[in-house]
Amino acid sequence: MDCERFDRVALDLVYAELDELTSAAAKRHLGHCARCRDVSTRLRATREIAVLPLVEPPSGLRAKILAAERQARSHLGARQRLGRVVSVLAGYAMRPQTAMAALLMIMIGASLMFLRARPGERDHVRVTERGVPEGEGEPVTVVPVPERAPHSDTRTAPPHGTAEIDPGRERARATGGEKIAAAQPTARPESQAGRAAPLDKSESESTSADYGTALQAYRNQRYAQAQRDFELIAAQGGAEAPSAALWAAKSMLRSQGCPSAVARFDELQSRYAASDIGNQAAWEAANCYQALGQPERARKSYLQLREASGYSERAQRALDSMAHEVAGSADVAAGASKPAAAAPPPAKAQAPAAAEK
Amino acid sequence: MAARSEATDEMLMVRYQRGDRQAFAELLSRYEAQIYNFSLRQLRQAGNAEDVTQEVFLRVVQKAAEFKHEARFSTWLYTIARNLCIDELRKYSHRRHASLDQPGPSEGGERTLGEQVPDLGSRSNVERNALSSEVQRRILEAVDELPDEQREVFLLRQLADLPFKEIAAATGVGENTVKSRLRYALDRLQQALGEFEEYARALR
Repeated sequence: MDCERFDRVALDLVYAELDELTSAAAKRHLGHCARCRDVSTRLRATREIAVLPLVEPPSGLRAKILAAERQARSHLGARQRLGRVVSVLAGYAMRPQTAMAALLMIMIGASLMFLRARPGERDHVRVTERGVPEGEGEPVTVVPVPERAPHSDTRTAPPHGTAEIDPGRERARATGGEKIAAAQPTARPESQAGRAAPLDKSESESTSADYGTALQAYRNQRYAQAQRDFELIAAQGGAEAPSAALWAAKSMLRSQGCPSAVARFDELQSRYAASDIGNQAAWEAANCYQALGQPERARKSYLQLREASGYSERAQRALDSMAHEVAGSADVAAGASKPAAAAPPPAKAQAPAAAEK
Repeated sequence: MAARSEATDEMLMVRYQRGDRQAFAELLSRYEAQIYNFSLRQLRQAGNAEDVTQEVFLRVVQKAAEFKHEARFSTWLYTIARNLCIDELRKYSHRRHASLDQPGPSEGGERTLGEQVPDLGSRSNVERNALSSEVQRRILEAVDELPDEQREVFLLRQLADLPFKEIAAATGVGENTVKSRLRYALDRLQQALGEFEEYARALR
């Protein structure tokens, strides 16, 4: 140790704050350095002589402080009281028993987090054919395949069986779009315009114009044109597609007759079963079968329609009429056979008279 | 510093934080005289020193919950005392105007600070007692003449017996700065008390 180093540790040596190693080094330095020995001696002597005498505090000071402490404790603020409570609780919290209990609670809580939740009240899920829960997926609309492409524009109907997705259709269906589309054409423009509001504006406007044109063509008995327009509307999809498909079939019925239209009605009946469109198609198909001389198929359709709301009376009357016709034809057949056997045919009876004349 | 045959200051403080008033009484008995003397040497007025001492322990009561057990209780206590003394000095600006001959409002009536200095009582003859009183008077005068920063460090070291590291924490300066200030204080005291060094050696 040199003198410079000793000056830095001289006070520590005087006040005994040096570690043993440094203290020994400093003392060795003092052994051969008169200058540092003098410095150390003076500092030590000053420290020893400059001892301040302790003055006794006033006799009543302790009592005053204790009284002040008692009063202060009774008027501690909420923060100080809370701090004291926390201090007490912390004292208990540091105990091993408390720590073990806390660890146990943490383990129980952590294990609860890994328990699987109950499945809930929804015990079944309805799904569509594509496996998407109903209401969460997008609606699927199957559009009919037009028999021939009415136009060569881009609005050609998709292939049969393909799905065309349009979010607006779900809203239109929810507001009863199918039933509206199945209504009579004369009541359509105002009522459907309002109910098809959720549809895309441009699509709605263009479809409405086509629908009106097709309707006008139907009214003007231009059934071929009406059929093409309605098929085009049906191919475009949307809320009006079912109704347009029905009116296309009706237009075909008017222009080509039952032999061509009955298959179309059958298709619509099966596609829109248990709906107004399906019932209307079934009614038209039944009429066609009756006209085509297929009473059994007509009867079958009428019997089905008798169970449908709104068609029971009509279907029953049709069935009664068929039964009456069958009975009438049977009577006619029976009456014709009996006179033929008992009396001579009138023609033959009148013939001699004419000859006589 | 009071002897700690049983619980340490920090243990007593923990007990007091939990509501043990007896622990506070024990702390008060240990540090009452030291805080009072520290305040007395800083303020030079017995009345002010008494008020500050009372206020120091009242702060201990109020801030007991804030005491961190990582620190020494004595350091925390002297830090409070130091700050209160500084506030008091700024308040009354008594630092350079007080005198040891000025009577204090203590129960001693008209006794001056110099007269309150107790007798060392180590020698029986009259001459030695007179010399002792003279030495102590000169010591007090020399300490009083120290610059504020040096006197503060000197008192914390000599009176409170705080280590340099604790003094640095209490005063908010570095440890080397503390040593430097104490070195200057001792040099000044050495010059003032040089004629009594022989007496000091005789007392040993």
